[in-house]
Amino acid sequence: MSKVMLEVKELTTKYVTRFHEDIYAVDHVSLKNEEGKSLGIAGESGCGKSTLALSLMGYYFAPLHYTSGEIIIDGRNISKMDPDDIRRTILGTEIAYIPQAAMNALNPTQKVINFIEDVIQAHNPKATKTEIYELARERFEILGLPAEVLQKYPVELSGGMKQRTVIATSVILCPKILIADEPSSALDVTSQKMVIKMLRDLMDNGFIKSMIFITHELPLLYNVTDDIMVMYAGQIVEKGTAEEVVFDPLHPYSKGLMNSIIVPESGARHVKLSAIPGVPPNLKNPPQGCHFADRCKYVQPECKAHPIDLQEIAGERAYRCIFSQDYLRKAYKNGG
Amino acid sequence: MKNTIQQVFHSRKFVTGFSIFMALLLIVFFYPFLIKDDPLAIIGQGNFFPPGIYVNVYDSLHSTTYILNLDDAAVKRIGNTLGDQERQDIKDWLVAYGIPEDQIDIDNTKQLLTQWEENYDPNISVTDMTFARQRYYERIDTSLKGLLSTEGMIIAKTNPQTGVLEQTDTIEQSEYADISEVANIKVLPLGTDNFGRDVLTELVKATGVSLQIGFIAGTIATLIGLFLGLLSGYVGGLMDDIIMFFTNLFTVIPSFVLLILISFSIGQDNRGASTIAVVIGFTSWVWTARAVRSQVISLRNRDHVNLSKLSGHSTFHIIINDILPYIASYVIMALILQISSAILAEASLSILGLGPRTTEIPTLGLMMNWAMIYQAQILGKWWAYFPVIVMIALITFSLNLMNTGLDQVFNPALRD
Amino acid sequence: MKGYRKYFVNKLLWLLVTTFFAFILNFILPRLMPGDPVAAITARIAQGMSNSTGMKEFYQQYADLFGTNKPILEQFFLYIKNVVHGNFGTSFSQYPRPVLDIIKSSVVWTVCLQFPAIIFGWIIGNTLGALAAYTKKGFDKVLMPISIFVSNIPAFGMAVILLVIFGVNLKWFPTSGGYGFDLIPTLSWRFIWSVIVHYQLPFWSIVATAIGGQAIGMRSMSIYELNADYVKYSRFMGIKDRKIVGYVFRNAMLPQVTGLALSVGTMVGGALVAEIIFSYPGLGYTLLNGIMGQDYPLISAVTLIITMMVLLANFIIEIVYGLIDPRIKAAQSD
Repeated sequence: MSKVMLEVKELTTKYVTRFHEDIYAVDHVSLKNEEGKSLGIAGESGCGKSTLALSLMGYYFAPLHYTSGEIIIDGRNISKMDPDDIRRTILGTEIAYIPQAAMNALNPTQKVINFIEDVIQAHNPKATKTEIYELARERFEILGLPAEVLQKYPVELSGGMKQRTVIATSVILCPKILIADEPSSALDVTSQKMVIKMLRDLMDNGFIKSMIFITHELPLLYNVTDDIMVMYAGQIVEKGTAEEVVFDPLHPYSKGLMNSIIVPESGARHVKLSAIPGVPPNLKNPPQGCHFADRCKYVQPECKAHPIDLQEIAGERAYRCIFSQDYLRKAYKNGG
Repeated sequence: MKNTIQQVFHSRKFVTGFSIFMALLLIVFFYPFLIKDDPLAIIGQGNFFPPGIYVNVYDSLHSTTYILNLDDAAVKRIGNTLGDQERQDIKDWLVAYGIPEDQIDIDNTKQLLTQWEENYDPNISVTDMTFARQRYYERIDTSLKGLLSTEGMIIAKTNPQTGVLEQTDTIEQSEYADISEVANIKVLPLGTDNFGRDVLTELVKATGVSLQIGFIAGTIATLIGLFLGLLSGYVGGLMDDIIMFFTNLFTVIPSFVLLILISFSIGQDNRGASTIAVVIGFTSWVWTARAVRSQVISLRNRDHVNLSKLSGHSTFHIIINDILPYIASYVIMALILQISSAILAEASLSILGLGPRTTEIPTLGLMMNWAMIYQAQILGKWWAYFPVIVMIALITFSLNLMNTGLDQVFNPALRD
Repeated sequence: MKGYRKYFVNKLLWLLVTTFFAFILNFILPRLMPGDPVAAITARIAQGMSNSTGMKEFYQQYADLFGTNKPILEQFFLYIKNVVHGNFGTSFSQYPRPVLDIIKSSVVWTVCLQFPAIIFGWIIGNTLGALAAYTKKGFDKVLMPISIFVSNIPAFGMAVILLVIFGVNLKWFPTSGGYGFDLIPTLSWRFIWSVIVHYQLPFWSIVATAIGGQAIGMRSMSIYELNADYVKYSRFMGIKDRKIVGYVFRNAMLPQVTGLALSVGTMVGGALVAEIIFSYPGLGYTLLNGIMGQDYPLISAVTLIITMMVLLANFIIEIVYGLIDPRIKAAQSD
C-alpha cells in the first residue's frame, strides 16, 4: 500500500443562509486517497459534491462554515490550523483547486502571467519576475500550452484554452492533491478531451501526486479515476473501485444512478435507461434515517427510524444500506 | 405570475417603497374630499404667513368671555413682545449698573423684569452713556410699564347717526374665549406662500399634478423605449444599427438641454402640464430602449423563441407571447425610474422658469420656483420650500426603493 | 498600442458625429415653432422695447443671423459658420452686449465649479461604496440608508438645504454670487479669498448630490465582483485577501467610470440648477437670466455650449477608460 496523500475523517460543514438557517451539505464524510491514485466523486447536482470540494481545502469563508472532522494532508492535520497559515503554507502548494466555472476563474483585467506572479509571491515573496516567468513558460510548454498565453488577458482566450490555463496555473506550485470540480462540463467535446488528457499528464509528469475528480458524468469518472465515491444529500452512500461501483453498484441510489446513464461499455447496451423518481431531501431539515428512503423502491419502516451506518465490506468497499449485499444483488437482478 | 407577485411583496424594500407611495397617492386622492378649498385661492393678504392656527379676532371678541386668573399671563405677554435686541440692551444696562453678568439670564423673562423693575431709575446716569441712549432706556421703561399695566382695552364703534365714537365694551387682560366657540378659525399647518395661498392644500394638489406628469411622461417614454428596443433587438440588422445610433446619440446629448430648447420653443402660452409631460416623455426613452434591446437580444435565440419561430408564429405573436412576458419585469422597473426622473425633470424645468404656465395649476417644481423667486430660503420661510423638497424626495425615495426591491427579486445575483 | 489608437480614433469620430448632431438639434428645434421664428422671437421682446427702430434693428439683425429668407440648407451652413466664428448674435436682455462675451465670462465659473465637484463627488462616493461593500456590517448598515436617502434629494433641494443651514443660519458662507458684490475681479488676496468662500456651498452641494448615487452603484458593483468566481479561485490559490480586494475594486470601478460618462449629462443638468439656487455667475444662472429675459440668442448659445461641454467630458472619460481597462486594447486588436 502506497502512501496516503489525503485523509478525511468525519468532515462536516454547513452553509449559513441570509436568514441564519443551517444547511448541512457535507455530513460526516470520510475518505482516503493514496499517492498516484485518483478518486472520483459522483452524484446529482445539489448533492453536496461541490461543497465537499470546497470543504476539502480547509479554508472556509462565508457562507460556508466548518463544523467538525479532520483533514490530514500527507500526515499533517490542517483542520486546527490558523487560516492565514493554511493560506500561506497549504493552499496552492499542498492542495489546489480547479473551480467548476473555470470560464470566470481568472481576473478579467489581469494578464495570466501577472496572476501567476501574485500566486507565487503569496507563498514566496522573494521570487523575482524573471524566475517566475521562466517557471511558468516551461510549465506551460510541457503541458502543451503556448507561452504567448502568459501575456494575454483571459478575454483573449477561448473557453478550452482558458480552462487549460487555469489547470496549469493551479498546479504551478506542484501541489500534492488536486481537486477538480467538473473541470470539463462546460466545454465542447474536443476541448473536453484535451482537458482530460491534460489532467492525466499532470500525474504522469509529477506535477501532482493525487487527484480528486468531481463530476456528475459517470462515464467520464470510470475512464479517468481509480476509485469512485457516490454522494447523496451530503453523505457518502457508496465507495469502491471504479469498476465495482459502475458495474456492481450496491446502494439503491448508486444503482439508480447507473441505470439513468448510458455507459458505452460492453454489456451496458441492454440495460434499460431509467430515471430515479422524486427529489432529494431538503438539507435544511435532513431526514433522521436514510436520506434516500423517500425515493427508494426497497424502503422498509426501519430505514426511516434511525441513522444508517456505512457497512464496510471486502477490500475498500463500503455502502450505506440496511440490506446485505447479496440481498441487494438479488433484488436488482429480479427488479431490473 | 401569482408566485412572482408574492415574491415581490416579500421584499422588505419593495413593500416599504410601495407603502410610502400608496400613502401619498391616497392622500392626493382623498384630501380634496376632506378639504374642499380651491388649492390656488389666495386667502392671505401679504406673503409667507407662518404655519399656525389663525383665530378670527373679531369673532373672538363676540364670543362668550371667561375670566381666568393665571399668574404668569402678564409675564408671558411681555415675553412675547420683548425682542432679543431689547433683552440684550436691558442686560447691558443692568451690567453697566453693577449687576454681575452671570446673574442675568435674558431668556428668563420674569427674572429679567424683576431685576429691571428693582434697579432701573431714569435719574441714575450709568457711565459712558450718550444722552440718546439714556432716552432709549427711558422709552423701554415706559413701554414695559404700559405692558405691565392691568387696565383693559376699550372697544368703541362709530355711531352711524352721530358719527361719534361710542364705547361698547371693554376687554380685561384676564378675559378668555373658548376656541371652540369662535366662529372662524383657519388652520394653516404649513402657512401661506408668497401669493398668500394655503401651502398644504397647494402642496397636495401640486403633488397630484406632478405625479400625473410623472405617469404620463413615464408611460410615453416607456412605450417609445419598449417599441424601439423590441424593434432594434428583435429585428436586428440595419434597423438595429439605425436605432442604436440614435439611442447612443441621445444618451450623450443631455436630455435636459433638449427639454430646455423644446420648452422654450413651445412658448409660455402653450405650455400646459400635459405638454410638459409629453415633452419629458419624448426626451427620456433612451434608457428603456437600451435595457429592452439588450434583454431582447439575449432572449432572441432561446429555445422557446426558436420553437415558436419553427411553429410558424408571426413576429407579432412571438413578441407578445415569447418575448414580452420575459422582459415585463425590466419594463416595469424602467417605468418606475422614468416616473421619478420625470418628476425631477419637471421640477428642474420649473426652477429654470420653463415649467407649465403658472396661473392654472400648481406643480412641485412651480412651488419651488416661486419660493426661490421670493427668496423664501434667505428670509427663513422654510414652510414655502422645505415641504416641497421633502415631498419630491419622498416620491423618488419610495419609487427607487420599489425598484431596488424588484431588482433584488429579479436579479438574485445582486442580493446581499 | 495599435489597438488603443483604433479605439481613440473611433471615439474621436463619435465625438465629431455627436457634435454635428448637437448643432443640427440646436438649429432645428427652434425652427419647429409655427410661423416665422424671427418674428416670433422678436415679438417676445417687443413688450420690453419702446423704440421701434430698435425693434427693426433686432429683426434685421436676427433675420441676417438666421438667414430666414434663404433655403433651409443654406441657413444651416450659415449657422455653422456663425457658430464656428463664435458669432452667437447680440443678447436681447443685455443689449448691446454680444452673446459670446456673456458666455465667455460665465463658462469659466461653471467649468471651475462643476468639473472638480463632480470628480470629487465621484471619488468620495466610490470609496464609500467600496468600503460599504467590504465591511458589510456596521459601516454598511449606517452608510447605505443615508446614501439612499441623500441620493433621493434632488440637486436643487440639496443646494437649498445647504444654503439654509450653512449660509442663512450658521452664516459660515455667503449665500449668493461668485464673489463679494463689493469687489471688482482682480488678482488681489481679498478677491481670491472671496471667491474661495463663495465657492464652498455650490461645490459641496454638487458633491453631496453626486456621492449618494455613486456610493450605491459602487457598492452593488463591488458586491457583485466579490461573489465572482475569480475571487474564490484566487483565495484557493493562497493569495492574500488584501490583494484580492484590490482586484475586486479595480474591476468594480471600471463600470463606474463608464457610468460616469453616461450620467455626466444628468449631473451637469442638476449642477446648473444648483448654480441658480446660489446665483453663481456660471452658465446655469446665465441660462436663467436668458429665459427670464426671453433672450433667445443667449439660450441657444448656452445650451449649445453645455452640450459641447458634456460631449467633451464624455470623450475624455472614454479615453481615460480605454487607458485603464486592458480589455479595450485587447478587444480592438483582434
